[in-house]
Amino acid sequence: MKKLGTVIQYECVTSLKPIWVFYAILFTVVLAVSVLVRIAAGSSASGVNCLEINSMVYAGILGVLGFKDDFKMLLQNGFTRKYIFLSTISLFAFVSGIMSFVDTIVGNTLYRLVDNYNSLFNGLYGDGHMFLINWFWLFFVYMLICCLLYFIILIMNKIGKTAFIFVGAAFGLIVTIALPALFRFVLPKDFTKSFFQFFIKGAGFMANGSINFAYPILFLLLFTGILSCCSYFVIRRTELRV
Amino acid sequence: MNAIQIKNITKSYKDVTALEDVSFSFEYGKIYGLLGRNGAGKSTLINIIANRIFPDRGEVFIDGIPARENTEVREKIYCMSEADLYDTSLRIKEIFKWSSRFYSGFDLERAFQIAEIFELNTDKRFKALSKGYQSISKLTVALALNMPYVIFDEPVLGLDANHREKFYDLLLKDYERNPRTIILATHLIEEVANLIEEVVLIDKGRVLLQETVEDLMGRGYCVSGSGDEVEAYCRDKNVIGWESLGNLKLAYILGSSGEISESGNLQFSNLNLQKLFVKLTEKGGN
Repeated sequence: MKKLGTVIQYECVTSLKPIWVFYAILFTVVLAVSVLVRIAAGSSASGVNCLEINSMVYAGILGVLGFKDDFKMLLQNGFTRKYIFLSTISLFAFVSGIMSFVDTIVGNTLYRLVDNYNSLFNGLYGDGHMFLINWFWLFFVYMLICCLLYFIILIMNKIGKTAFIFVGAAFGLIVTIALPALFRFVLPKDFTKSFFQFFIKGAGFMANGSINFAYPILFLLLFTGILSCCSYFVIRRTELRV
Repeated sequence: MNAIQIKNITKSYKDVTALEDVSFSFEYGKIYGLLGRNGAGKSTLINIIANRIFPDRGEVFIDGIPARENTEVREKIYCMSEADLYDTSLRIKEIFKWSSRFYSGFDLERAFQIAEIFELNTDKRFKALSKGYQSISKLTVALALNMPYVIFDEPVLGLDANHREKFYDLLLKDYERNPRTIILATHLIEEVANLIEEVVLIDKGRVLLQETVEDLMGRGYCVSGSGDEVEAYCRDKNVIGWESLGNLKLAYILGSSGEISESGNLQFSNLNLQKLFVKLTEKGGN
């Protein structure tokens, strides 16, 4: 583990600048849209909502690039796949931590200052929740997205683009046609109801109308963990393609 | 044992066998030439040694330690790649900085000295450099590293003659100061012929030969003269190739220099490494 700290430092330091560039662009666009809305409609509304969606897209891109560039660079410098995996997950945690923190502050500030603005968290769970809960929830959402895209890009690299397109199309068909048909026509209604109730509970919405944030955070943590383990399993066997 | 030991390595890509049961060693303290035609399996072998790809069978040991997924060999071997594996958005000075953090044996000061010799602008980003300067930045990192084993895969790709000379000069001086194992995989055989001590020739996924340059050069000779005389001389010789220009003929002969005898107007000369390489790979080593 002698040089693991250095690799993690490399990953984090080189990812800082793109984050600030991303936010600079994002806030410039938000400001421009707000000014346009104010001029056109005379309203103090921001004209935008759920800015976290942009961060999710960024997290997805980071997940992809986390493999494409850093894998090559770190292999060039003799690091093992175990180190590369650990440093990439650390990078995801670092970036998710910063972005969820910024987005929590920005979301809550805009929610209080600007008419009709809703952050993703407030839109789902309403307002009045602890800042820390909001931050944690967003952190795990971003981590999940990073890990999901990282896993997908690893699979794509492993099986090749053509095979991946077929697998992706098959997966899309299963999700959009086969699964709904299964729930609607095949599985017993009680099972379907319990299944969806399980996921609603997993999102934190209790039957009595209260919200328990332990469930969504545990759910997100569990899926992130599963995806990370799967990614590690794949990357251990991943070869460099140039 | 202080060496890179390659033991029974086999690697296939779908229906192509890139390497087939390859076994040999790069001993410590020598400059090797790893030669072979395009697609011979050189890059595959280098990538396996550098843990970038995995063999289907066999294993690589560095100083007796298995090289596959092993952090223990990190500070023992470095491979400068033909492919651009660095983060191309980094500035050269940043690549140097991170190399010094990644490797205990990286001499940051030396890296900047070498960059100055090549007039490499270290403020530029890797991707903004020409192909030649990208190669220079990669070989600068390799030259600034104090490692027992350094592999240069096509190190002079895109370099002009002046820069190539500078590189060979720096490499030799560095080797004199700090002897270690240097492996040069290149197509520019004549340029490295005076540098390398031993040649490993790979052809069609197999090791065709591993010999010292001295022994290799002594394996044959050239004879030239008028067509009839050369043909008559070569009648009982092991000729590996012919070249002709008008009535003049040149034959490449395998055999010890003791076989060279006075013979009319014939002229005798040593084989050069490139010619021997061409002839051996044309003939499949027979």
